Amino acid sequence: MVVKLTDWLDERVGWRSIWDNVFKRKIPYVNWLYTLGSATLLAVINQGVTGILLTIYYVPTPDHAYDSVQYITTQVPAGWMIRGLHHWGASAMVVLSFLHMLRVIFLGSYKYPREVTWFTGVFLFLTTIGFGFTGYLLPWDQKAYWATTVGTQIVAVTPLVGNWLLRVVLGGAELSPLTLTRFYGTHVWILPAALLLLLGIHLYLVISIGISEMPKQRE
Amino acid sequence: MPDEKVLERKGFLGLVTWAIGGLISLGLGIPAISYLIGPSLQKPEGQDWIRLGSSKKVEFGKPTLFKTTIQRQTGWIVNDEEVSAYIYTEGGREFIAFSNICSHLSCRVRWIDDQDQFFCPCHNAVFDRNGLVVSGPPPRPLDRYQVKIEDDQIYIQGV
Repeated sequence: MVVKLTDWLDERVGWRSIWDNVFKRKIPYVNWLYTLGSATLLAVINQGVTGILLTIYYVPTPDHAYDSVQYITTQVPAGWMIRGLHHWGASAMVVLSFLHMLRVIFLGSYKYPREVTWFTGVFLFLTTIGFGFTGYLLPWDQKAYWATTVGTQIVAVTPLVGNWLLRVVLGGAELSPLTLTRFYGTHVWILPAALLLLLGIHLYLVISIGISEMPKQRE
Repeated sequence: MPDEKVLERKGFLGLVTWAIGGLISLGLGIPAISYLIGPSLQKPEGQDWIRLGSSKKVEFGKPTLFKTTIQRQTGWIVNDEEVSAYIYTEGGREFIAFSNICSHLSCRVRWIDDQDQFFCPCHNAVFDRNGLVVSGPPPRPLDRYQVKIEDDQIYIQGV
């Protein structure tokens, strides 16, 4: 019955060849360090699922941000767990993608013909940093407020346009409700859109080019 | 052993991968569902006794309006909510508490003493002193609350 159904679908959609190309492709003999990319992907999926769940209760206004986060953590069933997974998953995503990047550098996987994979990876890492920076403000507690106050000052050292850039980032002269909403919008719309696009290209290239072999020692 | 199926290494690892994936999905999926539906299933409010005031203020044979403010919490937001009820007693022993909200379309009814009736201005509904419909569109009598007297204080429940 199930086989019949999957056959029916395969005839029309051709999912089986996609499945085989993604999960049954041949790979060279490599070590466990080559799983760091997949581990990062798992962290990304975790962030996506738990992040969507958090938006069910979180409200990005100064009146409600802190209280709604407290409500999620203490009142909603399993809310502490969803928030915890998102909190720790964020760190995991940064650490894992950084280690993945180191692996690629040390084993030379960024070289021809994988330069585009590498560049999308670099921008994925920057996107991840952006996620971390914007997400840090959202709980709207003292730590979030002052970390963002300090962190945003970094853009002010840009030559010539620094102060103008700082105003753009903050949505005004200082950290305000406008900062909170624009960080929220960036965190849940702009960055996920960028991530999805870059990740799509990244994974497509990983599969279509295939992963690199381990560098060989000279005999 | 020609009939015995040999589970080779590749198939076994595939199975383990599916099993781990399934466990992770369940481990996240079940909390996610309780997270989503949890607040919807919380027991309704209105279980607390609300103090209205002294029972000495109630005139015999005449419904008397009491008002008080209570705090209601929805999610993380606490709101002040005004609660009002008519208290009626024949002889000071048995007390009845009526909602002053018309059972038709939730306008406020008021007691009109010289006509001996509750009147709702929205659609000219009339209730008698027991809250029963005399005339007009209401589908049922005025709602009643649980009422108790403790140390001359009136408490109602079920708002």
